[in-house]
Order: sequence, then C-alpha cells, then structure tokens
Amino acid sequence: QKLMLQGGSATKVMCLTHALSVDDLKDDEEYEDIMEDMRQEGGKHGALVNVVIPRPNPNGEPSPGVGKVFLEYSDIEGARKAQTAMNGRKFGGNQVVAVFYPENKFAQGEYEG
Amino acid sequence: DSGSGVKKRKSRWADDESTPLVQLPDFIKDITGGIGFDPEVQALNSRLLEISRMLQSPMALDDRPEGARSPSPEPIYDNNGVRINTREYRARERLNKERQEIISQIIKKNPAFKPPADYRPPRLQK
Repeated sequence: QKLMLQGGSATKVMCLTHALSVDDLKDDEEYEDIMEDMRQEGGKHGALVNVVIPRPNPNGEPSPGVGKVFLEYSDIEGARKAQTAMNGRKFGGNQVVAVFYPENKFAQGEYEG
Repeated sequence: DSGSGVKKRKSRWADDESTPLVQLPDFIKDITGGIGFDPEVQALNSRLLEISRMLQSPMALDDRPEGARSPSPEPIYDNNGVRINTREYRARERLNKERQEIISQIIKKNPAFKPPADYRPPRLQK
C-alpha cells in the first residue's frame, strides 16, 4: 500500500537538472546565493541532510555533474515530496527537472549520469 | 523592517507554486501509458532537452584549453577547400547522433511520442 508515484525508483537523493548554467557557478557570491536558495526551498519539503552543487574546475577541465543540484533528505518521503513539488518549477527562469538519484552513486561522490 | 543587517535577497525560485507537473489520476495514466512517469523515459527526455539546449547555444561545445585536448584528426576538406571536420563540427555530429539515438529509445518505450520534425529513424540493419 505504498504510494508509488515514480515507479519503484524513489531514493533519498533528489537531483535537479536544467536549473543552472556553468556561468552561474563560476562566481563565488552567486554560488553562495544559489546554495542558499536551494537549502531554503529544499528544506520546505523535508529534512535536508546534504546539498551538493558541483562547480566547474577553475582550470577549465570538464568536471562531473556541473549544472546539477543534489538534495539529500533524511528519508525517502522528504525526497519524494520535493521531487513532486520542484519538478517543473522555475529557477531563475529555467524550468527545473527533478529526478531521483541513486543513493550509492551519490555516497561515492559520483555526480555524472 | 525586521532583521536589519541581514541581507534581504530574493530567491531565484519562481513565486508560483501552482505550475508543477500535474499528477494525473490513475485511470488517465493508463490511457497515456504512464508517459512522463517512467523514470527511464524521464531521464531520456531530460538528456534530450540538455542536448537540444547545447546544440542551440552559441557557446563552444568543448571548452577545454588547447593543451588538455586530444590530438585532432587529419583535416578533411570539401570541394571548395573548406575544412569540414572542425572541432565544432565533430562535437555537433556527436551530439546529433546521441540525440537521434535517444529519440529512438523514447519511441521504443513510448510509441505515442511525437518525434521532432528533423528526426530520421535509423536504417534497419540487415
């Protein structure tokens, strides 16, 4: 009798894509602002454990997961609420896509894919 | 004015919370075949959007500095002597190919999906 809105794939980690551009992440102040926005908004839906926003390498090398935002919740319920609420919303004019992200990959610091 | 000294900043999140994707009731999900709810299709769709955005943006498709790149292939020129396999060109080819493949996969999972006008189905292998 579990409510499965997203198939069986719900995890505690929610990943936002299409919210940020690489340029948004280069400026330190802007980065802090974005981090704060994500913490505030993400915290409305459940208990946030961790927020990870990968940044581009200063040396110009490609770094994994740039442009994504990872929100880790203390339970799946929080992540599920956040996914439902944040998917399709606009952040800085961009329509955000929210999907669940594999917990094991997140735990290992793998942000690509 | 409460909290003077605290920098008041507007969140980048849009105000309206009423626009997220509508959760359809179960009977409609059956009709639509659960389109948009299959996480795999969702992931394919999001990659497709990402690629489309990259193809449309004027920014360089590969911004690695000169030294960090792998060696270029031998140049190929067209009949007018214009080089056709530039880095930009190859990057676009690569993205276009991935785009076509993703569309094929989405169609396979969801036959009702309407592909973009420039989509060419892959030729069947013998």
